[in-house]
This record gives sequence, structure tokens and C-alpha cells, in this order.
Amino acid sequence: MKYFIIKLFALMLFSFGALHASAPASTEVASAHKEETYQSKPFSEMIGGFLKSTGVSAILNPDPDELDAHGREMSNFHKSWGRIIMILVTFFLFWLAIRKGFEPLLLLPIAFGGLLANIPIAGIAGEHGFLGVIYNMGLANEMFPILIFMGVGAMTDFGPLLSNPKTALLGGAAQFGIFGTLVGAVALTQMGFADFTLQQASAISIIGGADGPTSIFIATKLAPELLGAIAVASYSYMAMVPIIQPPIMKALTTDAERKIKMTTLRHVSRLEKLVFPIMVLVLAILVLPASTPLIGAFMFGNFLKESGVVERLNDTLQNSLINTVTIFLGLGVGSKLAANEFLVPDTMFIMALGIVAFSVGTASGVIMAKIMNLFPGHKVNPLIGSAGVSAVPMAARVSNKVGMEYDRSNMLLMHAMGPNVAGVIGSAVAAGVLISLFQ
Amino acid sequence: METNLVIEGFKFMGLGMATVFTFLVILIIMMNMMSKILNKFFPEPKPSAGTNNNIQNNNTKVIAAITAAIKYHREG
Repeated sequence: MKYFIIKLFALMLFSFGALHASAPASTEVASAHKEETYQSKPFSEMIGGFLKSTGVSAILNPDPDELDAHGREMSNFHKSWGRIIMILVTFFLFWLAIRKGFEPLLLLPIAFGGLLANIPIAGIAGEHGFLGVIYNMGLANEMFPILIFMGVGAMTDFGPLLSNPKTALLGGAAQFGIFGTLVGAVALTQMGFADFTLQQASAISIIGGADGPTSIFIATKLAPELLGAIAVASYSYMAMVPIIQPPIMKALTTDAERKIKMTTLRHVSRLEKLVFPIMVLVLAILVLPASTPLIGAFMFGNFLKESGVVERLNDTLQNSLINTVTIFLGLGVGSKLAANEFLVPDTMFIMALGIVAFSVGTASGVIMAKIMNLFPGHKVNPLIGSAGVSAVPMAARVSNKVGMEYDRSNMLLMHAMGPNVAGVIGSAVAAGVLISLFQ
Repeated sequence: METNLVIEGFKFMGLGMATVFTFLVILIIMMNMMSKILNKFFPEPKPSAGTNNNIQNNNTKVIAAITAAIKYHREG
């Protein structure tokens, strides 16, 4: 059904194009705009002028003087067929979000932003178009990811991590995906396949942190020209966590390991939860101040929640604020799906490197859990290692689901939430390292 | 210049992973210490007594209301 609609739309587009092409070539219209008074024109000239301003004409005969959002030259391909391809790509993203349920909350605004950004003439993603304004308002200055982090902080419960602190190591191991991919990206450049600078390679590798806001934060800081591809890769892979992770988890564990039962989590007092965000922030201040924008915002949200006295603010952070910002963030990222920025060979490499980053992160989390089991103490079920990639709470749910496949009574969800939230802290730290390296 | 790009990548990896792990290991130690200190000096008050009373109070009130309603219904 969805394909049918897409086909129908494409057909409509082409038939209009054919119609226009067969029509007699419109007469030259004087391009003198901004006349002091309105001058009467023959009707045929008006029709000709109007036809020139239609989307069909703009796509078939691109305006040679049209510049992109940054005032640079655009190739004819990016002005014509590139736009049609990108519009079809956004339709595909709609299908992924609606039919397949892939992170619809973000993918739909991103895809629709992409659709709007590829409209010729209107210049919606340009400096004065509303997408351009949204982009400059909150993405170019890294504001929106920070606001999202506050909301995520208010939604996060550190209880499972506090009751079993050593699972934080799993969240650290998963960051191997980030740095492994960094090496991969520069190796590709070295071999001459791609042309990434170290900044760009770092921005791409952060996809392995499986943390949307962090990826966007780093991309806008280090490589804004790759933002569209990085954000789309990051969010679509996060949505595909339930598909990507289980085969890796199963391949790396034995049947006995998958059936390990973990000891029940102890109760965590309210005071512990209240002190925790401040403690993390103090540690971040001492060790890595470059990571404090992200960690600070995250812990602010969490502190408001755990304080228990500002229920209204907490509620706003968790619902209205994060929802509002998500709309703007999605549209702003979507504006980077303009054909001239997205339809470049780099995008393909970013997509490929992104999935490598995800897989390496998952695998290293599982392997770390197996290493931890070599030491005395309570055994860790390696299946929760994969939850070390942030992707809260999707990755933890996947651990739980895979665990249940082998033992119906083995509830891993809460155990997996520990590495999961530690993964968020871990990727924020990794992001801080990358930022500090380029300062 | 060209040749050392991959080595640069490995340097980033070494530094990055070391920082992440150092951060988390310190965090784990701090978490353990904090839990010990807080549970020793500020133990959570046992909530069982209070909540039970509340539930019982509520229950008696509910029962009273139901009885009154039934009575009213039968008489009226």
C-alpha cells in the first residue's frame, strides 16, 4: 500500500513534468522586480512567469543562480534529481517510522524536515526559511541536545546502577565502539576510500555511543557538514537495536552463560539517589570539565527528579519540554537532509561505519561481562553487557528479551538498566574526551 | 603527515578508553563508599508502620461508607 502511494506520487510528478516540457517555451520575462508601481503585463507573460515559478519547472530546469543554504554553488544534479531522490528517501523514512515503528518520535520530524528542506524555490532550509531559523536557533549552538539531555536526566532512574555499581564497567566497555570506529574511519581515509578529517572521523564514531543527543552535540561541534547523515544513522540504528544486537549477543555467549541468574537488587535509599547526580557532576568537574555541558544538563534533570520537591519542573522536563525540543530538533536535523548535503559519497561511509560502531559497542560490552565473570564475586549475565551502549531503555529491553528466550524466569531488565544508564555517562565522557582533544 | 593518521586514531582510542574507564572506576568506588556512609549514618526510616496504618484507616473509612450506603439504600 505504502509503495503504491509512493509510486502514484512519483507518476504524478513525472506526468506534470512531461506536460510542461511539451508546452511551448515560455517567452522571456523581464526579471526587473521591485518596481515602484505595479505595471500591467500581457496575460500570456503572466502565465509564463508563473509557470517558471512552479516546482516542476524548478526541478526540470534548475535555476543556475540558485545557491544552497550556505550561499555556495550547487550542482545541477542536487537541484533537480537529487531533490526527487531525497524526497523519496524521506518517504522511506516515513514508512520506517510509521509501519516499522523505528523511533517514530524523532524519525518523523526528521523525515518531514527533510521533505521540506528539499522543496525548490521556497528555500525553507535557507538562512531565512523557518527550518534554517530553527537550525540556527538551537542546533548550530548545540542548545537542543542539551535540553534533551535535561529531559532524559529527569526520566532516568539510577537505582539499578546504585544497587550494583560494578555493572558501570559494562557501560564503559561499550564505548569501545566509539573509538574502534574512529580508527576505522581514519583507516578508510588512509586507504584512500574516503576523505575524513580527524574531526569528522570523531563525529562519525560517536554514533557508536548509541546516544542521539550526544551524536548531534558532537557533530554540530566538530563536523556540522555531516550532521544530517550522522543524526539519521544514529537514530535509525538506535531504532534497529532489537535487530542488530541479538545475533551478536548470541554468537558471543554460551548457553550456560545466558542462563546465569543474577542476585536480586538491593533497595536504594532516596538519599543515595539524591547524592548521586551531584557526585557524578563533581567527578566530571575534577576529571573532565569538557564533558560537563552534557553531564551537567543530565544531572540537573535527574537532581530535580530525585529532589522530590519540584514535581512541576520535573514533569515539564519529562514531558512538555522534551517533546517541544524533540519537534524542533527533528526539524532542524531534517534541514540537513537537503540533497546537496546528504547525497554525497560520505553519507554511505557514515551509514556503514555507524553500524560497525554499534556492533563493536555491543560486542565489547558482552566480552567485558565475560571478563568480569573471571573474577570472584557475583556472576554477571553477559547478556546485560550489550545494554552498555546507551540507547535507553531499548538496549536493556533487548537484554531482557534474549534472556527470557533461554529461561522464562530470568528477569534481566532491571539488571540491564545499570549498564544502560552507565552507558549514557560513558558516552558523555567519551564525547568530552573528543571535544577536549580538539580544543 | 599522511602515514600517521591511523596511529593518531589509536592514540585517541587509548586516551579515550583510559579516561572512560578511569572515570567509571572512580565512580564505582565513590558509589560504594557513598552507599556505605549514607546507610550507616542516615539509615532510611522503616516505612512499614506508617503505611499499614494508613491503609487500615482508609479501609475502615471505606467500609463505613459502604455500610452507610447499603443502609441508606435498604431504608430508602
